[in-house]
Amino acid sequence: MNSPLSREEKAAGPNRSQAGSGRALIALRDLTKVYQEGERLQPVLRQVNLSIHSGEFAVLLGRSGSGKSTLLNMLSGIDLPTSGEVVFSTDRGEVNLTRLSERERTLFRRVHIGFIFQFFNLIPTLSVEENLLLPLELNGRTGPPARDRARGLLEAVGLADRARSFPDRLSGGEQQRVAIARALVHDPLLLLADEPTGNLDLETGQRVLGLLDRLTRQRGKTLIMVTHSPEVIGVADRLLRLHAGQVVVCDDPAEASG
Amino acid sequence: MKLPPFLRIAGILLLVAVLVGAGQWYLAGRAFDDTAAAPRLSLSQALGGELAGFARADRPREFRFPDDHGPHPAYRTEWWYYTGNLKSAAGRHFGFQLTFFRTALKAPTDRVERTSAWGTQDVYMAHFALSDVATPRFYTFQRLSRAALGLAGASAVPFRVWLEDWSVTGETAAGPSVSMQLSAEEQDVALRLRLRPEKPLVLHGHNGLSQKGAAAGQASYYYSFTRLRSAGVLRLGDEEFQVQGLSWLDREWSTSVLGEALQGWDWFALQLTNGQELMVYQVRQHSGRIHPLSSGTLVAADGTPQTLTSADFQIEALQTWRSPTDGTVYPAKWRLRIPGEAIDLTITPYMADQEMHTLIRYWEGAVRAQGTIQGRPLAGDGYVELTGYGEKKAGSAVFGRLS
Amino acid sequence: MSRLLWRSSRGYLRQHVWQVGLALLGVALGVAVVVAIDVANESARRAFVLATQSIVGRATHQIVGGPNGVSEEVYRQLRLTGKVRALAPVVESDVAAPDYPGWIFHVLGVDAFAEAPFRPYLSSAGVSPDNDFSAFLTQPATGLIAAATARQLGLAIGDRLRIRVGTRHQFITLVGLLAPNESGASAVENLLITDIATAQEILGLGGQLSRVDVRVPEGEAGQKLLATIRQLLPAGVEILSSRGRSQAIEQMIRAFQLNLTALSLLALIVGAFLIYNTMIFSVVQRRGLLGLLRIQGVTRREIFLLVLGEAALIGGVGTVGGLGLGILLSQGLVQLVTRTITDLYFVLTVRELALTPVVLGKGLALGLGASLLAALRPAWEATTTPARVTLQRSSLETLARQTAPRTMLLGLLALAVGLGGLWISGTNLWLSFGSLFGVLLGCVLMTPLTTVGCIRLFQPALSAWGGTLGRLCGRSVVATLSRTGVAIAALMVAVSVTVGVGIMVQSFRQTVVRWLESSLHADVYIAPPSLIARRSDATLDPALMQRLTSAPDIARVNTYRGLQVESRLGLTQLVAIDLAERSYDAFTFIAGEPHALWPAFQNEAAVIISEPYAYRHELRLNETLQLRTDRGEHAFRVVGIFTDYGSDQGLVMMSRHTYDQWWQDAKISSLGVYAEPNSDVDRLVESLRRLAGAEHEVLIRSNRTLRAASLEVFDRTFTITTVLHLLTTVVAFVGVLSALMALQLERAHELGVLRATGCTPGQVWGLMTSQTGLMGLIAGLLAVPVGVGLALILVLVINRRSFGWTLQIEIAPEILVQAIGMAVVAALLAGLYPALRMARTSPALALRNE
Repeated sequence: MNSPLSREEKAAGPNRSQAGSGRALIALRDLTKVYQEGERLQPVLRQVNLSIHSGEFAVLLGRSGSGKSTLLNMLSGIDLPTSGEVVFSTDRGEVNLTRLSERERTLFRRVHIGFIFQFFNLIPTLSVEENLLLPLELNGRTGPPARDRARGLLEAVGLADRARSFPDRLSGGEQQRVAIARALVHDPLLLLADEPTGNLDLETGQRVLGLLDRLTRQRGKTLIMVTHSPEVIGVADRLLRLHAGQVVVCDDPAEASG
Repeated sequence: MKLPPFLRIAGILLLVAVLVGAGQWYLAGRAFDDTAAAPRLSLSQALGGELAGFARADRPREFRFPDDHGPHPAYRTEWWYYTGNLKSAAGRHFGFQLTFFRTALKAPTDRVERTSAWGTQDVYMAHFALSDVATPRFYTFQRLSRAALGLAGASAVPFRVWLEDWSVTGETAAGPSVSMQLSAEEQDVALRLRLRPEKPLVLHGHNGLSQKGAAAGQASYYYSFTRLRSAGVLRLGDEEFQVQGLSWLDREWSTSVLGEALQGWDWFALQLTNGQELMVYQVRQHSGRIHPLSSGTLVAADGTPQTLTSADFQIEALQTWRSPTDGTVYPAKWRLRIPGEAIDLTITPYMADQEMHTLIRYWEGAVRAQGTIQGRPLAGDGYVELTGYGEKKAGSAVFGRLS
Repeated sequence: MSRLLWRSSRGYLRQHVWQVGLALLGVALGVAVVVAIDVANESARRAFVLATQSIVGRATHQIVGGPNGVSEEVYRQLRLTGKVRALAPVVESDVAAPDYPGWIFHVLGVDAFAEAPFRPYLSSAGVSPDNDFSAFLTQPATGLIAAATARQLGLAIGDRLRIRVGTRHQFITLVGLLAPNESGASAVENLLITDIATAQEILGLGGQLSRVDVRVPEGEAGQKLLATIRQLLPAGVEILSSRGRSQAIEQMIRAFQLNLTALSLLALIVGAFLIYNTMIFSVVQRRGLLGLLRIQGVTRREIFLLVLGEAALIGGVGTVGGLGLGILLSQGLVQLVTRTITDLYFVLTVRELALTPVVLGKGLALGLGASLLAALRPAWEATTTPARVTLQRSSLETLARQTAPRTMLLGLLALAVGLGGLWISGTNLWLSFGSLFGVLLGCVLMTPLTTVGCIRLFQPALSAWGGTLGRLCGRSVVATLSRTGVAIAALMVAVSVTVGVGIMVQSFRQTVVRWLESSLHADVYIAPPSLIARRSDATLDPALMQRLTSAPDIARVNTYRGLQVESRLGLTQLVAIDLAERSYDAFTFIAGEPHALWPAFQNEAAVIISEPYAYRHELRLNETLQLRTDRGEHAFRVVGIFTDYGSDQGLVMMSRHTYDQWWQDAKISSLGVYAEPNSDVDRLVESLRRLAGAEHEVLIRSNRTLRAASLEVFDRTFTITTVLHLLTTVVAFVGVLSALMALQLERAHELGVLRATGCTPGQVWGLMTSQTGLMGLIAGLLAVPVGVGLALILVLVINRRSFGWTLQIEIAPEILVQAIGMAVVAALLAGLYPALRMARTSPALALRNE
């Protein structure tokens, strides 16, 4: 099998991660999420405590319905936990997402978080370039510098020549590459990827993963990815498994993918 | 004697009836019956109240002719009643009836001047019937009109009584005797006759005062031309007949005639081959008995009248006839005896169905009489009128209220 | 078809309650407006027929005369010949009941003895022993009214009912009540039945009959009888068929009613848009599901029927709701319609809604038909779903964009056909309206591509204003063209109708204002109160007139005598005028030379006719016009055609001099008074009012007041129009709302992405609101040319063909600005709630897998 992730890079990963290990980017404290299903309370997360370090590449595993999406929602401030805290360390100090209003969380998200989705989720009515410009604009970055930045990233994902195309003209792999560029374009602290290869064929998926790994690691971005791909499990800094509402850190990839 | 209580009912019912429309007599009758139980304004009260301003036939009077041929607006009701038996040249027998009724809506004292020419105080009703014995077919027609705008009315000089184009017009200008032109036409039937009195007119009862009830005023003024030589033209569909025969005119006017509940009456008018005329009527009470004030007049060949009381004659019904319309049973053959004159007659209708399909249902038809007078053969033609048969209850209710 | 298939569709409908609900509402509203107008029209028609039946009864023919009716001598002669048995004299008139505002009684004076063959309901009066017929026949000023009416007015036998005849008040003592059985009840509600003598007395018609009713048998015998009767009639008296007479009257309101029907159909068309919108949305939404079904072997035919079935269900339920709503609505509309008919044509009282199976069935058929028609395309679209599971959200959109040019072409075709139809429709009003709808349909079909063009035009501005979000705003409209196009078209239609009708009414009003200014020349106008606002139907008491004209400060008096002349050709509104020379300027002639025509008008057997009359009867200058005079038929030469906006039936004017030569009628309907120069008109009005005294109710109005009153009537007659197009706008509003709700559902995922990316709810709201505003703006902009086009058609074609009027078109800029504003505001209002819901889209949706 021709893994897109080189051993060197894999080896370098933890080192770098360890280099920044003095600082936890995200700290989850006693995070609990309970959904109400009719009369019944359905706990999804039970007092999860977890730190994600800056620059770390964490893979989130778990069966369907184990709470992976819920955890991503908590991490991005899309949803609030029933109890517990989600604390980000930013250059302006600690930010506790659970204490922020919806609007503040949205503003936080637009600056600090980038999303990559299974179904790419490009805005169909915006061209490739415009899809990239949108996060920049939302962060108040317009004009030629913003365009240059978008161009730069498109080049980085190898789609500079498709800048003016609309998403429906692109193949799945291309769309996901655009999505990666979009997630990175505003230079977020954290990237959240939800089964980014789930909707792609194996080969394209591997290429996209390689790109994602390269770009995030190059730029020192923290990446949390939900996936089942064994290749990814192999290169991740840490494997987190969600089971019965708890996050279990497992070091053995074999066990993780089992 | 013709229809007096009927006409009194008609005086009020007419107004209902004209609005109800012809032929709905039963309906109206029933409606009256239904409301009889309700303690409302009773018809007799209304009638009584309105009777107040009218003149009454309560004493003998001096008849004045030709004035009395004309209308008597001071009295409530009045009629000109022509009946007769005619024969065509080929011997085909016809009977006819043409009657004009006048009913006052208001007592003379209550009358209001109207600026409109349509304003009316009197209502006229006319019945026209023809019995074609040969076919046999019976034709009846009815008309109603206000006495205004020249649509209907009557006058003494020149004599005329008319309802639209049905009319009888006097030919002679003065005196009690008057020759007349009768003219009536409707649908298939047209009759034009010249009527010439062969005898002077006859005053019935007590010098023309015909007492019908015990109380004063329960009477009418009543005279007749009993033998009118008649000739003229009858058109029936496309056929025309030269006809001649004898007719009879009854004239009667009154305000309130009857004082008690009656079932109806049978009236006979016969022109006999011996030159005599006979008029008798019997008033039937609910008990089935004949009212004692029933009476008649026998007119001698020379025109001398002789009054008959109820004791002087006997009438016996020999047969009955059932009306196909509603099953009413009428007597249809009689034996009439006047023992004092040794007259014994069998009276047979020329045809069975001579039932009048008018506002008021009755039987009025041409009859033939055959029998003996003092042993010698006697025959004659005439008219019989039968009222108050059938729908006993409604009839009695109406009569009851009138009393 | 499989029950499971239906169950899946039921599940879908249940999940989209909002969408289905709005479609239901739209159809219901559309059907409601159509049904309401139909019920109102039908009720008016039935009330008219009933009133006619109750008045005409079973008469097959009527003998009619001139302005004073038929002499009673004519009746007497006919009656006494004995040749015609079924004859009934009638003296009648409409009178107001001043104590009961809104009540107009039809005094029907009859000869009870002649009635039996004609008006059977009168017999009901015979049944009650409380009724005093002796008084009815012999006592002056007595009458009968319907028992139900008496109950309603709190009147009993023995009470007095005040009526106004002309200018004078009189009292009628009720001597009985009429209680016809079953269906006859409503026919007699407004009758005041009197003896014929009484009617002559209270109406001041001594010696005259309004008409004589005749019943002749059918066939040859009848024809012979008619010929016999004709021979017996004097000159100026004619026997006409009853049916023809009432048809001539009914004919007057036909154009008016057709106009209302056409306007109501617009609402249904807009309602059909909603069905279209809902169905196409449901098809788009379920492309995956439909593809799946196709894989499993469901045929195209079955898919087609499924979608049609759903449309039928929605259409059916909506239609049934619409029927109920329409019945409710009709109760209000029927009053407006009746009021207008009474203002314009004849006295009409409607107290019963004609909820006939035919009317309701028509509503049902229209609602269902429109729904199915609207669902045809969506159903067809559904059958094109390829048999695969892949969800291609944008393929239909792409299709919509690709087909936009084709739709445009189709639109141009419809437009051309519509315009061509207008060209060839001649005087056919149905074809004219059909063509109008064709034009409108053309404009609708052209909307999608035009919208794309507009967006392209706006795009730089949007981009400059809102950056990427601004661009997104415009592009989304194009991207979802299949829905936004429909919403914009619906709104465009509604707004253009507003513009069209607005311009039409405005032009009409301005024309009327100008006409009133020039034609109301005298200083003071005196007239008896009229039951029909636009026509004088009463005359002035001669003594009163003498008193009034003796007032000081009067320089000259014009007299007018208005009457309806009837002939076999129909009804003609004739006005005999005694005109001061200075009043000549009051006329504007579109044909005829003013200097030359006045001498002819004054001295010859000549008339001038109004424009609608000329149009209606295709009369040109110097042609002759046959009128039945009291001396028999006579031809009058048309020497001028003048503009007049008072009567859509048209007028014939004749000098009083000529009139007196041909008619024996001294009556005068109204006066126009010129004050002495320099005298105070208001003081003159005051002194005239004093002279009139209290016993007469007479309208004495200055030029200014009369003008204001005329305009008031004008405005009142257009209330119904305004109400109708407001209702259409409401339906369009629901359409926009529904389209936006559909968009919200459909774009939830995309908006989730935006939210996840960091758009605040406010930003999403702003985006959606701008988008709806944009749609509104486009609809408004498109509505302007379409509306102006509609106005041109309404004014130049429909109005002319319906009523024969030439109007000067006035396009007030504020109407156009208002229209655009209205479109934007309507869209924004409709978008308010969907935008709010969209703003609340959870970003978590972006993560949810489909």
